[in-house]
Amino acid sequence: MASATTRRRVWAITAGLAATTLLLAACSSGKSGANATTGSTGGSSTALTIGTTDKITTIDPAGEYDNGSFAVINQVFPFLMNTPYGSPDVKPDIAQSASFTSPTEYTVKLKPNLKFANGDPLTATSVKFSFDRVLKINDQNGPSSLLFNLDSTEVKDPTTVVFHLKSPNDQTFPQVLSSPAGPIVDEKVFSPTALTPDADIVKANAFAGPYVITSYTLNELISYKANPDYQGIYGAPKTANVNVQYYADSSNLKLDVQQGNIDVAFRSLSATDVDSLRSDSKVQVVDGPGGEIRYIVFNFDTQPYGAKTPQADPAKALAVRQAVADVVDRKAIADQVYKGTYTPLYSYVAQGLTGATESLKGLYGDGKGGPDKDKATKALSDAGVTTPVTLNLQYTPAHYGPSSADEYALVKDQLESSGLFKVNLQSTEWQQYSKDRTSDVYPEYQLGWFPDYSDADNYLTPFFLQGGFLKNHYDNPTVDQLIQQQATTTDASARTALIQKIQDTVAQDLSTVPLLQGAQVAVVGKNVQGAKDTLDASFKFRYGALSKS
Amino acid sequence: MATAEPAADPAPAAGASRHRGGGLGRYLLVRFLLIFPTVLILVTVVFVLMRSTGDPITAALGGRLGPEQLKERIHAAGYDKPILVQYWHYVSGIAHGDFGTTITDHRPVTQVLTTFGSATLELAVYALVVAFLIGIPLGRIAAARRDKGPDAVLRVSAILAYATPVFFAGMVLKLVFAVWLNVLPVAGRATTRSILTMKTQGAGTGIYLIDAISTGDPAVVGDVLQHAVLPAVALGLLTAGVFLRLVRTNVIGTLQTGYVEAARSRGVSERRLLRTHAWRPALVPIITVIGLQVAMLLGGAVLTETTFEWKGLGFQLVQYLLARDFVAVQGMVALLAVIVAVTNFVVDVIAALVDPRIRY
Repeated sequence: MASATTRRRVWAITAGLAATTLLLAACSSGKSGANATTGSTGGSSTALTIGTTDKITTIDPAGEYDNGSFAVINQVFPFLMNTPYGSPDVKPDIAQSASFTSPTEYTVKLKPNLKFANGDPLTATSVKFSFDRVLKINDQNGPSSLLFNLDSTEVKDPTTVVFHLKSPNDQTFPQVLSSPAGPIVDEKVFSPTALTPDADIVKANAFAGPYVITSYTLNELISYKANPDYQGIYGAPKTANVNVQYYADSSNLKLDVQQGNIDVAFRSLSATDVDSLRSDSKVQVVDGPGGEIRYIVFNFDTQPYGAKTPQADPAKALAVRQAVADVVDRKAIADQVYKGTYTPLYSYVAQGLTGATESLKGLYGDGKGGPDKDKATKALSDAGVTTPVTLNLQYTPAHYGPSSADEYALVKDQLESSGLFKVNLQSTEWQQYSKDRTSDVYPEYQLGWFPDYSDADNYLTPFFLQGGFLKNHYDNPTVDQLIQQQATTTDASARTALIQKIQDTVAQDLSTVPLLQGAQVAVVGKNVQGAKDTLDASFKFRYGALSKS
Repeated sequence: MATAEPAADPAPAAGASRHRGGGLGRYLLVRFLLIFPTVLILVTVVFVLMRSTGDPITAALGGRLGPEQLKERIHAAGYDKPILVQYWHYVSGIAHGDFGTTITDHRPVTQVLTTFGSATLELAVYALVVAFLIGIPLGRIAAARRDKGPDAVLRVSAILAYATPVFFAGMVLKLVFAVWLNVLPVAGRATTRSILTMKTQGAGTGIYLIDAISTGDPAVVGDVLQHAVLPAVALGLLTAGVFLRLVRTNVIGTLQTGYVEAARSRGVSERRLLRTHAWRPALVPIITVIGLQVAMLLGGAVLTETTFEWKGLGFQLVQYLLARDFVAVQGMVALLAVIVAVTNFVVDVIAALVDPRIRY
């Protein structure tokens, strides 16, 4: 048993420790998150702190195909081609020149004396190595599917590389070089046959993009420092030191940007949070065009009057689709459900991209983007369709964000309010949904898309070319021919005209009814500049554009 | 109203043997061997549940790839093999100490545990400290003021403390102290600046308080402690309520025993009776309860860590669950099950050694 003296000592020590702890806690400012400073290598010496709810899978380009990982990769790896600020179209990044030297050969000439931050030379061999390994590793979560048209990569000399393509004149290939499949990596650091651990990449300083990573804790905190050796399209970053803090909960992200603990919040605040922050005097909400689209898919076999239904009638089936396009009020959905974080979409290609039209705007509804019940009624009665038409409309509750239920409740309300439809709204969890939608289970259903690169083709080929990923039995040989033609048309203006024609043609058929296009939204402190510059149709958030006064 | 909570087994009659079912060694061996079926059953349940929710490839890429490409990738990953084959492969791996590599971020599960375990351990310790500091003294007060106003208030508070869902308590605390009053941080374990300071100057243990102290910067230590307050209180209140009621019940029970009555009849004051005679014996059952609380704390940590962005095992487990990362979830649950089972075994050992009422 302890003596009284010993007991007194224990109590004294405990009390002392507790008092010290409380004193230290009281002394702490607790508000230093956004004001950390580190050694500068150029640009502003005050570190900028960005918050995001994105998640990183890996920073090895061969293993990522997600927004969170690609956001990191965009800062630290160089690309042969990239999107300059304010444009959706690609230009040479670390390449000096890039062009088709024959229908199946795309030749890229590198800038001289390129090197990685660790001093390793960046040559044509690095380029060949980078693309070969993506195809070789073929990771289950990786971007290898984007290189479907790449047959082989050939090194001509230390600064010249030739991509041999399977299909000739592939006009999307330069865009692919700026996509998740396109980063150039250090062959002395990366494994040719397996994913390289993030820690090894960081330790080896195997970067050659605008920034290098100085500190890396997966999905927690990454510190970037400007790379003085970067010779690419973006030039020197405006802020030398950037920290990115990862959140799981968007409400914490919102509170931290509001309280000034971080300078920038980018992806993904809820629509309600963004709406409330617009009226907060301490921050500014910056909007830009987004690439994400949302739409309703019709299964041409199982929709009302579809090819495999007892009452199969293509004209009536088309009339049903037209009536849906006439009645749906996109602006109401964008305003009421998404508070302006999504905008109405009247075509298949996201606005802001070269060739995007608004083909549906004049064809359906009131001709100005609004709904028109009378036009829908006429479409159905002209085709001899008995109303109300029953629609079994499906959506998935979480995969496209928590507002899907509200979005589709409003769609149902709009359709039923017309008196022309009776909507059975059903939701299915994503895993089952993914299987069901391609097994003809759903006659009409919700889907969304985020582009792989900023080219209109990425919104056309996967959707409307026979054998695409929609699997909704839409089949229009004219559209197929036009899609293949635009993909190989070398004249830019002629290609743009074809892209527009495809949208006009599909708008007549209504394989899908586009509803919304997501805006890019960044919430920044009042003293932060440059967010507007990077929120463009490249859909890449480049930290180098940001600065803090 | 006083609740009549069952106390431990009544003390054996004088002369009765403690060793009714065999010796201490056998008792401990049985307790130890029970760890294995416990963990195996839990791992099996998690394995089956995870498989029933779908595969991680569809979860990640179902909206981007066509059915053929998806099928191809699922086949390459082996998720289309018969479930028994997958189960055997997994259990064989565990038997060899290989808990696998996570699908979503390509990390060995053991590395996940070491990376995030320190954060959870730190939070659990903070929570236990809060539970002890709140639950035990208040339990003593409630016992001393039995059936009076303070006792009633404390008993109701205790029920509220362990009946309130941890995430709700966390959100309320956050709303009050971080949003309305803005005196404590919203989330996280430290500010960016402190984390970077600890990374460059700290001990690198992953236990932020140690790392912060090792930097020698009082601001960093204070920052770390500030970040710990709300999660520790949210999680600690859960256990504090249990401790409060347990201490109260045991102290009241002890105050009614013969030896205390004898002391009382000799004129010993109530305060002295409580402090000297009834207090320590009442603390013995807490040893047993701590074992149960470890499991409760780990369960609570999942919600607390998620609420406060406290990036520990619980937080990470939720992320892997959302991504349907079979390997990560199974591995983490298996390791958490081992921790809980071993903790309970250790508690059984201690209880068997210190509590004369336990029979083998």
